[in-house]
Amino acid sequence: MSGNSTRDTQWPRFELFQQEQPGKPHVNVGSVHAPDGEMALLNGRDVFVRRPECHNLWAVPARQILARTAMELAADDGWLDVPVPPDAAPQLYRIFQKTTQRRSMNYVTHVGDLEARTAEEALKLAQRRFAAADVFVWWIVPAAAILVSDEDQVESLFRPARDKTYRQPQAYRTLSQMQEIKRTTPT
Amino acid sequence: MSPLDRLLADKFLALADDELILAHRNSEWTGHAPILEEDIAFANIAQDELGHATLWYGLRAALTGEEPDDLVFFRDAADFTCAQLVELPKGDWALTMMRQFLFDALEMVRLPWYMESQYRPLAEVAAKIRPEEIYHYRHTSAWVKRLGWGTAESQRRMQAALNELWPYTRQLFAPLPGEAALIEAGYLPDLMRLEMDWWAEVEPFLTAASLTIPAFTKAAVISRTAHTPHLADLVADLQAVARLDRQAIW
Repeated sequence: MSGNSTRDTQWPRFELFQQEQPGKPHVNVGSVHAPDGEMALLNGRDVFVRRPECHNLWAVPARQILARTAMELAADDGWLDVPVPPDAAPQLYRIFQKTTQRRSMNYVTHVGDLEARTAEEALKLAQRRFAAADVFVWWIVPAAAILVSDEDQVESLFRPARDKTYRQPQAYRTLSQMQEIKRTTPT
Repeated sequence: MSPLDRLLADKFLALADDELILAHRNSEWTGHAPILEEDIAFANIAQDELGHATLWYGLRAALTGEEPDDLVFFRDAADFTCAQLVELPKGDWALTMMRQFLFDALEMVRLPWYMESQYRPLAEVAAKIRPEEIYHYRHTSAWVKRLGWGTAESQRRMQAALNELWPYTRQLFAPLPGEAALIEAGYLPDLMRLEMDWWAEVEPFLTAASLTIPAFTKAAVISRTAHTPHLADLVADLQAVARLDRQAIW
């Protein structure tokens, strides 16, 4: 294969958000590479939803996310001055926060929505409306950029994983069998 | 065992062998798929097919009393009754995706019929398998569409895969000896009807994916006792560890 070796052939990155049950918030579970939104949902399903409970999945192109840590916001408030284009129409933004350092598997959680003309304006509004004691990270996502798994595909996408106990490490009595082998094997 | 049960047991073995051999071929991609995400996804599909094989072997075992593990690990390759389509080496990614698509499309059209079977255990297994197959079909058809419309190279490879695999699809719709009695009993759907449903699904989809269905140029292999040379190699690989020690407990 010849050509430009510096060319980035990696597919775009999508962030995945999983909702365990109806009414629960969507939680970021990680990212996948995919050529488009549908494949991102399918890849996300296979990478992140093979074992745990899932009712609904969102995929968002990573480049559509305005992400800021508390440290970044404290160090630079230049984003406050990002001008609102005169023709910018209000649109719905979904607001995500990381408010605990305890959960290693999850990153940000969906806390609510608001209307704004830009992502920066949404962040400014969100800091007031969704104020919390410790917000370590903010993610601002235009709702229009979110690809949502179909409600009527819960059965085919997510339900089968529940019956697959053989995917759990507990299904294999490896530890107890190793102990048994050690106990009965003469040294 | 009644003659009808004997025929049913043969049918379940054919269904199980197809899924087992396809699962094994698919599992050969584990660690080698084009991207990490697809590696996980396709290993997952392979595992699903293996799970389906287990269900079909279970239905046979309920009639014959055989142990599914014996059927898988201690049966000679010549006694397998899989279709040749699933025996073929995995080839390139195009061939693997095209084969999986053709097979998943068959699952999509036959499972609703099986769910109506007068043989209740068959209807129950079909209902259990169907949600997973809906997902498989969504996954593989998404790939087929994108590769068909992708680059000149991906289209060429998909067309080559279709040309190679197409003659083998005939065997999927060939009845087993005596299968007519099962259809008569309302246990299984009419195969001609099944083939029409399958064609109605596959033909427009492949055409829309910029692929051309080739003509059949030679007589298709019909009997499931005839195998390609690839099956013996696969079965040797599949059984190698189990045959090292028949008494081992897993």
